[in-house]
Amino acid sequence: MDPAGTPLGKMLLEEITPVVMVLRTPSVEEACVKNGLSFVEMLSPFCNFSNIDVPLRTSSDQPYRLHKFKLRLFYESDVRQPNIEVAKERLKQVITKAGEKENLELISDPPQVSNLLDSSKSELLPSWFEYLNKELIRTASFSEHETFDHPVGCLLVVSSKDEQPINRFIDLFNTNKLPSLLNDGAMDPKILKHYLLVHDNHDGSSEKASKILSEMKSTFGTNECHLLCINSSQDAKMEHQDDPWASYKYDGSPVQRLGCCLDVDDISALKDLMHEFSSKHVIPYMEQKVRILNQQVSATRRGFRNQIKNLWWRKGKDDPNEMPSGSMYTFSSIESQIRVLGDHAFMLHDYELALANYRLISTDYKLDKAWKRYAGVQEIMALAYFLLDQSRKEAEYCMENAFNTYLKLGSSGQQNATRCGLWWIEMLKTRDQYKEAASVYFRICSEELLHSAVMLEQASYCYLFSKPPMLYKYGFHLVLSGDRYRKTDQIKHAIRTYRSALSVYRETTWSYIRDHVHFHIGQWYALLGFHDVAVRHMLQVLACSHQSKATQELFLRDFLQIFQGAGKTFEVPGLQLPVIDISSLKVVFEDQRTYASSPAASVRESLWRSLEEDLIPSLPGARTNWLDVQTKLMPKRLRESNVCVAGEAIKVVVEFKNPLQVPIPISNVSLICELSRSEEEISVDTNASTSELANDEDHQRFGVMVVSSDSGSVILSEFDFSLGGGEKKLVELTVTPKLEGTLKLVGVRWKFSGCVGFYTFESILLVKKIARGKRKAKAKQSPLNDLKFVVIKPVPKLEGHIRSFPEKAYAGHIQPLILELKNQSNCSIKNLKMKISHPRFLSIGNKEVQHVDFRACLEKQSDNKQGGTHANLKKASQGVFLFPEDVAIKGDKPLLWPLWLRAAVPENFLLYIIIYYEMEDASSVMKYRTLRLHYNLQVLPSLDVSFKISPCPSRLQEFLVRMDVVNKASSQSFQVSQLSTVGDNWGISRLQPIDGIIPSQSLTVGQAFSFFFMLKSRRLSSVDAATHVPDLSPDVDNDVILCPESVKEPLVNATHSPLANFHDSERLQHGIHNQKDDNTVDFVLISRPLKSDTNSEEDSDQPQLFSHHACYCRTASTSPISWTMIGPRTKYHNFSSSFCEISLKMTIHNSSDAIASISISTADSAGQSDALPSQGGWKPVVKEIKAASPKAAGIIAGNSPESLWSLKPVASPVSSFIWSGSSSSNFQLAPRSSTDIPMQICVFSPGTYDLSSYVLNWNLRQDDGGCDQLEAKESNPEEMRKLSGTCSGYPYFLTVLQSV
Amino acid sequence: MATTASFIIVSRNDIPIYEAEVGSATKREDAAQLHQFVLHAALDIVQDLAWTTSAMFLKNIDRFNDLVVSVYVTAGHTRLMLLHDSRNDDGIKSFFQEVHELYIKVNFLQLGCSVHVLVFHLSIVEKN
Repeated sequence: MDPAGTPLGKMLLEEITPVVMVLRTPSVEEACVKNGLSFVEMLSPFCNFSNIDVPLRTSSDQPYRLHKFKLRLFYESDVRQPNIEVAKERLKQVITKAGEKENLELISDPPQVSNLLDSSKSELLPSWFEYLNKELIRTASFSEHETFDHPVGCLLVVSSKDEQPINRFIDLFNTNKLPSLLNDGAMDPKILKHYLLVHDNHDGSSEKASKILSEMKSTFGTNECHLLCINSSQDAKMEHQDDPWASYKYDGSPVQRLGCCLDVDDISALKDLMHEFSSKHVIPYMEQKVRILNQQVSATRRGFRNQIKNLWWRKGKDDPNEMPSGSMYTFSSIESQIRVLGDHAFMLHDYELALANYRLISTDYKLDKAWKRYAGVQEIMALAYFLLDQSRKEAEYCMENAFNTYLKLGSSGQQNATRCGLWWIEMLKTRDQYKEAASVYFRICSEELLHSAVMLEQASYCYLFSKPPMLYKYGFHLVLSGDRYRKTDQIKHAIRTYRSALSVYRETTWSYIRDHVHFHIGQWYALLGFHDVAVRHMLQVLACSHQSKATQELFLRDFLQIFQGAGKTFEVPGLQLPVIDISSLKVVFEDQRTYASSPAASVRESLWRSLEEDLIPSLPGARTNWLDVQTKLMPKRLRESNVCVAGEAIKVVVEFKNPLQVPIPISNVSLICELSRSEEEISVDTNASTSELANDEDHQRFGVMVVSSDSGSVILSEFDFSLGGGEKKLVELTVTPKLEGTLKLVGVRWKFSGCVGFYTFESILLVKKIARGKRKAKAKQSPLNDLKFVVIKPVPKLEGHIRSFPEKAYAGHIQPLILELKNQSNCSIKNLKMKISHPRFLSIGNKEVQHVDFRACLEKQSDNKQGGTHANLKKASQGVFLFPEDVAIKGDKPLLWPLWLRAAVPENFLLYIIIYYEMEDASSVMKYRTLRLHYNLQVLPSLDVSFKISPCPSRLQEFLVRMDVVNKASSQSFQVSQLSTVGDNWGISRLQPIDGIIPSQSLTVGQAFSFFFMLKSRRLSSVDAATHVPDLSPDVDNDVILCPESVKEPLVNATHSPLANFHDSERLQHGIHNQKDDNTVDFVLISRPLKSDTNSEEDSDQPQLFSHHACYCRTASTSPISWTMIGPRTKYHNFSSSFCEISLKMTIHNSSDAIASISISTADSAGQSDALPSQGGWKPVVKEIKAASPKAAGIIAGNSPESLWSLKPVASPVSSFIWSGSSSSNFQLAPRSSTDIPMQICVFSPGTYDLSSYVLNWNLRQDDGGCDQLEAKESNPEEMRKLSGTCSGYPYFLTVLQSV
Repeated sequence: MATTASFIIVSRNDIPIYEAEVGSATKREDAAQLHQFVLHAALDIVQDLAWTTSAMFLKNIDRFNDLVVSVYVTAGHTRLMLLHDSRNDDGIKSFFQEVHELYIKVNFLQLGCSVHVLVFHLSIVEKN
């Protein structure tokens, strides 16, 4: 690589070149101004030689040729260090001007990162950087410590117009005017002088000038004088093809064409002049000087001796040298001379020599602690190394050394440090060390903001160009730079940098970074008045949930300000404020299915469908019915897409969330819809005049923007609300199409302080709540279709609700409710059906009931015959209730229908009701619709009732019933008022007096209590005495009143309508076996809440009633065989005459369905005579007094009746009787029949005898029972056990007394 | 002495998955974004360095004014980055190692990308 060909090389060849000082008279300048140029400017283009081809010899006499060469011309006034302040001002102007040019590009989007990497450097780098850097380097020129800026020659120019030109020449080189460098001894005042006479051809012929020239030649010597004739073109209209001055005139306003008075001859004269001046005068002069200086230096400093001497001498010199470093080296000092030698050699491209001398002097300066000079030498050394392309390391080391040394000097070295840094950077760039270059840029950032802004921006580009590109660094430095630009009011530059940074940060997930960039660039755009772009950027930062509240407020405030500044509304797609949770999107529309309330709509469709099964006419039949008629007319898509009815609202529920901690107001939230009509749909409407419709409404579209200018085809609901910090809100939006056609839900829009945000649903995958039940086959349709609706002609719609449905109730609570149905339209409907999901909880009452008092229908009427069945009349199969034919709902008059609610079991209970109806109008597209009602009832626990039934030992078909009641309610006390058995089979009676049952008359919370009842089967009596009137003794009734007489409560009819219905459903609930089982009994316990309780006060006018049902309570749990001994209890007999023979009768009942073979074996107690001394028949009867009352015994023995009986033999008296009948009898007993077996005993002495010493073996006959019974037995192990059994006899006490 | 420190875990695709400001110095309003900028920019350096060394702990790889960035690169190229102004290499190294251990545990528990923040945060604050 040729170092001179690199950018830095080129730069050095331009910047480190001999300087020629120009001294001229004002009239020279006047002549040049005609061309719009100063004298120096006029000459400058011709001072640059790309191939001057001058032969030279190095100090060691090696010939070489100089090719590239340049002279720098400066007026004497400019040969001094530039004023720092002026220089800064100048730089600022350059930057500002560059900023102005950016205008157009600013608004465009920043490029993509990939594009950024592909595009070339020159495209990306702003062109003014190069110019600016040059300017920066120049601010450090003409310093004392470096000699390459010191003029090597002097051009004295006098115009031919001047009077006494010779004297003027002498005057010009007057020390007063000369720059300080020459005057204060920093450089040698004896420099090359060249005399130039300028003649303006406008002023006449050049004769006079020639005369003066010859005069000059005689005075100053022939070689040193020149005549230059300019302005040969008279009419000042010369045009130059390639304007040589263009690149030298940066800030000049082009009012005048440059060089307009110079014709071709003039220009070639200029060229010749400068060429001759360079090659014949400057270069030889410099070569000569190099030679002379080299000899001097060699003499004094080269060689071992000189070096030792120098070292020694320097050491000694060290102490007194306290002078300021600047003035200690005059031009005549050996150090300065070495430096001059080095610089001259450098400028003549003899870098070896230059380097040798720099090295020499560098150590001297270091020893002298002349840091600035040392740094300067190090700097130029590095450049020399670079141009020699020898040691990169050396070059870099020197450069860093120089840079650091300059920095150490503080402010005085700042300019030099900058220049040094720039050179260093160029050097690094040449070697592709962009990363290092960037860090140097970073280091030359000074406190001065504008300066560092530019440097940082350049650094950022270095990061971009580095391999591999460091994009993050690029972005970061752009932001840093932009920040500084902003602080110096260079907003355009700031925007430019941030805009570039955006290409890096556009998709970033680093939230603070993204916010910072967007927020600031937005602000700045607003400052410049680009409100659109500003708003776009501000929108990006609005939803900054991670920021602090203060920052959020700041963002919001600025956003609003910018917004107001913009002064118009924006349509912002995807406005992040508020955030829409699309997963919450729910569309509720009503086709056949209508909903009474929104909770009903949110119920799973499958649930409704399972309920609907029996209601809706089965698909094939019903479908073909109306499809047959309509298929030709109806387009296919009507069947395939969602159907909704004109005039009925479609509800869309969307969740809005405020991501900020700041409350935000949202207004005008509404849906965006498109309602379109196309030809094919119009054809459906056969009766309508097609042409008319097609004219004005053909393909009517309500696009996104037009929605506000509503033409009445759709009605959109609008919502205003405010979201607090972090709040979420579900918003229900509705759209009501007014016309038939196709309705499409496009999205949702809202207004956030004048900014209209909208959100389209299309982009997202829909989560749809409404299942496409009917169109399951077409369930694969795209989710977008879910937002498309076919709007059809209005059809009647039934609305309904249950009046004052309670939210919670205690278990068992029975309440009357009213179902209210309304049909707003004028078309009537027919064929109403209703189905209830839980008939256990809700039963349908009679139409008449609503006019009757609630109590009346519950109370037991005197004639209870009519109760029972008629509520079931209209009940069709599967629990579908058909309304009477004459029921028609139309217009304002609602239909009221009574319902009974009973909270069956404590749980959170969901009730679903479907009402089906058909259209009277057969032509409508929809044949039927369903109304879906949904209610939620929380059932609280109240009384918990359980029954235990044990057979009565002494009576056939009588049972002891123990009822355990526990109050499980949390706060309510209950009063138990009535227990009823259901059906005619059983009668029940109290065992205790009313008042004694519950002392406090109510069950308080948590209290448990047991009741005892006698249960009696009525069937037995009807079996054996079919002809008799069933003996219904007053205490064997269906109902038992449990509350004391003082509380006058009427009996409740458990067999009448609501209770009976509920009981049926309870039975269904429990009943796995629906067949009638005689051994089970159902109970209904009626209770009331205690009136004194606080919460019952409000509805104390309404009688409250609770019913608790217990079904299938088994009676005979042990054996299907029951028997009873019938006979006398007391007998008088004269034992003196004979023993007493007593006949007894055993009635045996087989309650099973099989034939039972029974054998009774009696046993005379043989071995029982030992225990007690016999006194005839009289034996002490231990506990017998109690046992004599079996009822009481039952109470004590509690739940194990067997144990009671097993006690008996212990206490049984010694048997002094014998069974005198057949000791064993076998017989068959038909199913469900009774038989009497005669028994006989013989008693030999008076006494009390326990006749329990017999055993009853029973066996159910399987053979004629049939297979089905077997199966039943197998399936039920409990029954299996009961196939056969043995029962020991019941105690039966017989007292025989001696008759008198 | 008040210290500034900002800890961040960056996933292999340069997405921050955990952030914590753990300095004792009172926070300036723009500190959070500056820290993010510096750390974000330092990713470039990490990218360069991570492949040149086998060490996981890369200390003081980048600096901005008096803020220094130290990084711990895990095997999965998740980067634990700490921006700090105090010089305590050993402390930082051991901090990184502990966090790394925690990070592995937490990730093991839930093989997702986001870190179980609360537990994690508590232990990190505690350790600093």
